Amino acid sequence: MRTRGREDKVVPVATGATGGQSPKPRLRDRLGNVRRAYLQVVGIPDYESYLVHMAEHHPNEKVLSRQEFCARAIDRKYGKNGPRCC
Amino acid sequence: MNKLASAALWSLIAIVGAFAFAALALGRGESVNAVWLVTAALSVYFIAYRFYSKYIAERVLRLDDTRTTPAVRHNDGMDYVPTNKWVLYGHHFAAIAGAGPLVGPVLAAQMGFLPGTLWILAGVVVAGAVQDFIVLFVSMRRDGKSLGEMIKIELGPVPGSLALVGVLAIMIIILAVLSLVVVKALTASPWGLFTIAATIPIALLMGLYMRVIRPGRVGEASAIGVVLLLASLYFGRAVAADPTWGPLFTLTGTQLAWALILYGAIAASLPVWLMLAPRDYLSTFLKIGTVVALAIGIYVVAPKLAMPATTRFIDGTGPVFSGSLFPFLFITIACGAVSGFHSLISSGTTPKMIERESHARFIGFGGMLAESFVAIMALTAACVLDPGIYFAMNAPAAAIGTTAANAAQVISNWGFTITPDMIEQTAKDIGETTILSRAGGAPTLAVGMAQILAQAVGGKSMEAFWYHFAILFEALFILTAVDAGTRVGRFMIQDMLGHVYKPLGNTEFLPANVVGTVLCVGLWGYFLYQGVVDPLGGINTLWQLFGVGNQMLAGIALLLCTSVLVKMKRERYVWVTLVPTAWLLVTTLTAGIEKIFHPSPSIGFLALANRFSDAAAQGKVLAPAKTIEEMQRVAFNNYLDAVVCGVFVVLVVAMCIYAVKICLQALKQAKPTAHEIPPLAPEGAMA
Repeated sequence: MRTRGREDKVVPVATGATGGQSPKPRLRDRLGNVRRAYLQVVGIPDYESYLVHMAEHHPNEKVLSRQEFCARAIDRKYGKNGPRCC
Repeated sequence: MNKLASAALWSLIAIVGAFAFAALALGRGESVNAVWLVTAALSVYFIAYRFYSKYIAERVLRLDDTRTTPAVRHNDGMDYVPTNKWVLYGHHFAAIAGAGPLVGPVLAAQMGFLPGTLWILAGVVVAGAVQDFIVLFVSMRRDGKSLGEMIKIELGPVPGSLALVGVLAIMIIILAVLSLVVVKALTASPWGLFTIAATIPIALLMGLYMRVIRPGRVGEASAIGVVLLLASLYFGRAVAADPTWGPLFTLTGTQLAWALILYGAIAASLPVWLMLAPRDYLSTFLKIGTVVALAIGIYVVAPKLAMPATTRFIDGTGPVFSGSLFPFLFITIACGAVSGFHSLISSGTTPKMIERESHARFIGFGGMLAESFVAIMALTAACVLDPGIYFAMNAPAAAIGTTAANAAQVISNWGFTITPDMIEQTAKDIGETTILSRAGGAPTLAVGMAQILAQAVGGKSMEAFWYHFAILFEALFILTAVDAGTRVGRFMIQDMLGHVYKPLGNTEFLPANVVGTVLCVGLWGYFLYQGVVDPLGGINTLWQLFGVGNQMLAGIALLLCTSVLVKMKRERYVWVTLVPTAWLLVTTLTAGIEKIFHPSPSIGFLALANRFSDAAAQGKVLAPAKTIEEMQRVAFNNYLDAVVCGVFVVLVVAMCIYAVKICLQALKQAKPTAHEIPPLAPEGAMA
């Protein structure tokens, strides 16, 4: 699963832990990206990207906690518009 | 990559593919290695993706990365999120790949490995992948609208409502047939039943972990779940052998049917985070892992295909399902070649997450190719088995009896030599008491997988473990589908009831929810029970009913795609969708009409119903029924099946008429009339 070093900024590189000083991706970041990719595959959008989005576009609105965010994602996925395949 | 290297690479792939096909075609009279079959399939997928999907993307649809996708336009970090294309590919694949591609090809193996293989490969390139890709494209250009909404907008309100009725009917049948697969696999199998039952507390524990103990830690919970799952698989053997626990987990078909109906009703009423979501994570994890393991296993072990290229049963007299190759092969293998259900996924969450238009090619077309690959591997696993074992597992008791001696004699007479010892030894190897008449695909696939994987890892002593692992893997996502499908079915029923009596449509109103759930479970439960008690019917009837419905939905989706292409004034390229539409309509209408009106009682619902009701009127009892009441029930059920099949036929014919009308109108227009969001739509347009 390539999630790093691509031009698309969809799965943002988790530089928070290293402060962006290390030029080489650290194992921890890589594992973090794998974890986030797995979450998105099973239908939970990336919480960190959500925080970035809210900070950029809706700085004055209330931000959901990680728990609320996951709960909403799960409810939505299996709610009205969630048919699964045969 | 420079041009020369590219040309060399694609020539190489073409040569490898041609070589693999030659090995399949020329290997008559001697068994062919399964590696050739899988290699031939992979070459077809690569070439189809590289050339045909590129043609569709650039010429037919003209994907345009300067247009914003719904995910970018409405980006809210939650519902609409631009997502990495590889991640979204995984998400889309996990949503489209269920039990379908595992069941159909196994049933179709009764005609030999060649008919199924050719249809899966031709079907996916010409129809299945095209449908998934273009529906995804059409939905992406309409803010991720669902199939029903798009049909309403492009074809009119009446076709929109008709499509919804069709989807609900297919949903009911698929839930029944999937449950039936589980019943057939777990009847009198305490080891299997224990492992599957254990997934319920494991899922509950995971649900609580993710919600209460460590909120939002899905990865951790999944890891814990997988470990517990493997533990339950390991201890299942001891439980099955235990004198007190063993009999407790040994259930008959009818007991299991009731258990599943009860399970469906309760599971669909629990909060989703408690059981559905965690089990879905487990099943996604296992699904992707097992598919990869099986692919590697086939290449490592390189088993020979024991099934001949074609068998005598292409004439329509096969014991697994009746009816000749045309049209019944094309409805038996639905998922894997083309599946109408995918049009619901491709117009569901996936279009809301696409980052760029050009990604739709990889996700829509490529995702379906991966599902097709799963179908090819299922077919391979079934054809690696000794044909005698295959027929012992898939022919109904009415044909081969209930003892190994009797079955061996009947099957040997068909020309597939087998001894009672071989049948009993196979059952012993996989840790079961019997393998006879376990139709439904899952057990056959599990034995095939067990034989391949055991040769790769663990040897003969591990076969029983691999068999139950394979059963667990299939049952797990079937139960997830039953749970999720019952919820979706309930919403649809409530939606319709809401038009009759408003409070029933309120999904926040508990009594209305109960009514919806009971109706939904009652409907699929009825078909399930009917399948379990009917020694003639069961999979034989329900799977074909599902096949007809699913392919008709694909026909409807492709009619929509065709109409949209015409409305976009791309009629030059309309053959891309028109060819698969025509093929689907021809095969499914033929199959649908034959299922209803065919004079042979082994194929036609009405013929069988008449035979039983006539005999009952004269006071005669026909096997396998034992009383007059049972006779009448067989007759009633077959009339009912004929009606359901008739509904599918009428729906698709009506849809076809509407689509033709719309296309003719659009052809007269000088300008495009499709309801697309314009390239530079302001934020919030059509939201």
